[in-house]
Amino acid sequence: MKLDGAVSLITGGSKGLGLAIAHRLRAEGARVIVADIDNVALEALPDVFDRRSLDVTQPDEAKSTVEAIAAMYGRIDVLVNNAGVIYSEPLVNLMNPDGMMHSYDRFRQCLRVNLDSVFIMTSAVVEQMVLRRTKGVVINISSISARGNEGQTAYSAAKAAVNAMTVTWSKELGRLGIRCNAVAPGFVDTPSTRAALNETIIKHIEGLTPLRRLGRAEEIAQAVVAAIANDFLNGTILDVNGGVTI
Amino acid sequence: MNDKLVTVLADVFGLRREQIVPQLTKDDVGNWDSLKQMDLVVSLEREFGVELEIADIITMTSVEKINRILKAKGVDLEA
Ligand SMILES: NC(=O)c1ccc[n+]([C@@H]2O[C@H](COP(=O)([O-])OP(=O)(O)OC[C@H]3O[C@@H](n4cnc5c(N)ncnc54)[C@H](O)[C@@H]3O)[C@@H](O)[C@H]2O)c1
Repeated sequence: MKLDGAVSLITGGSKGLGLAIAHRLRAEGARVIVADIDNVALEALPDVFDRRSLDVTQPDEAKSTVEAIAAMYGRIDVLVNNAGVIYSEPLVNLMNPDGMMHSYDRFRQCLRVNLDSVFIMTSAVVEQMVLRRTKGVVINISSISARGNEGQTAYSAAKAAVNAMTVTWSKELGRLGIRCNAVAPGFVDTPSTRAALNETIIKHIEGLTPLRRLGRAEEIAQAVVAAIANDFLNGTILDVNGGVTI
Repeated sequence: MNDKLVTVLADVFGLRREQIVPQLTKDDVGNWDSLKQMDLVVSLEREFGVELEIADIITMTSVEKINRILKAKGVDLEA
């Protein structure tokens, strides 16, 4: 797909990896719509971006926002499902005797924001692609944790399910010319990573990574652009992780 | 401090031996979380031939407390 002029919707694009992806798409000439729940961060974005306030876990809100975007631009070529929240909690927490087992509410909440959101947004956007006969692309931001990462029951499950949906949709929608791929980052140097992991653990991860460093947000954005641009890439989970194994 | 205990703690938490002192608590060690606690239990049980109860495991949040629990299990830490 030619990125120049491509109408591209990116969720969670006001910070972190999403913002890097938004900038990269813009640099390639795409018309970029950033949808995010964080209105303060949205406000701070330059107005080269079309900024939309949206909670991606709310199906009705998602549908009406997507319909409005499609009506305004005439189509949506690209959806990047990036919004998500890194969440860590072990199944058994020996350090918290009063609440030793993983909370079911927090499990559901993690699935809602990292998994349900991808279904909700993709349904809304693919509907518009089908109605308008757009040969579009969906990119899901997965994670290395999809392989199963200790301390991340819910998050790993959500990302593994995102990978499964990616492959399923690539098979279902390929016949309509709609492609679907995922980009699975390893450990990237973002504020969210710094907030989730302490310095000792970050050092440990760097030591385990053959390239001996964390990834950079721009390197993830580069992979997203490549996955959009390549018209024969479909149903792929693209690992971008410096060669680390977990 | 008991040599075997220092080795266990240094291995589990990736610390230097001189960092292992009785005053060391979970809050001083960046990666002393629930998963490391499980590693610690397995190592202590293997090295000292004891079986720890869940109440002991939950209490073991400092080197001093580990010392106390092992002694109560009949381990001779002076040896
Ligand atoms: N940072 C990493 O190392 C890393 C590694 C692997 C995967 N990921 C994935 O990359 C994506 C982005 O992560 P990040 O590290 O940039 O996180 P981040 O917290 O910096 O950004 C996430 C963005 O999503 C938005 N968001 C959260 N919930 C939302 C909702 N309900 N509706 C709309 N927007 C919402 C937030 O406001 C924020 O702007 C996530 O899917 C994450 O799982 C990140």
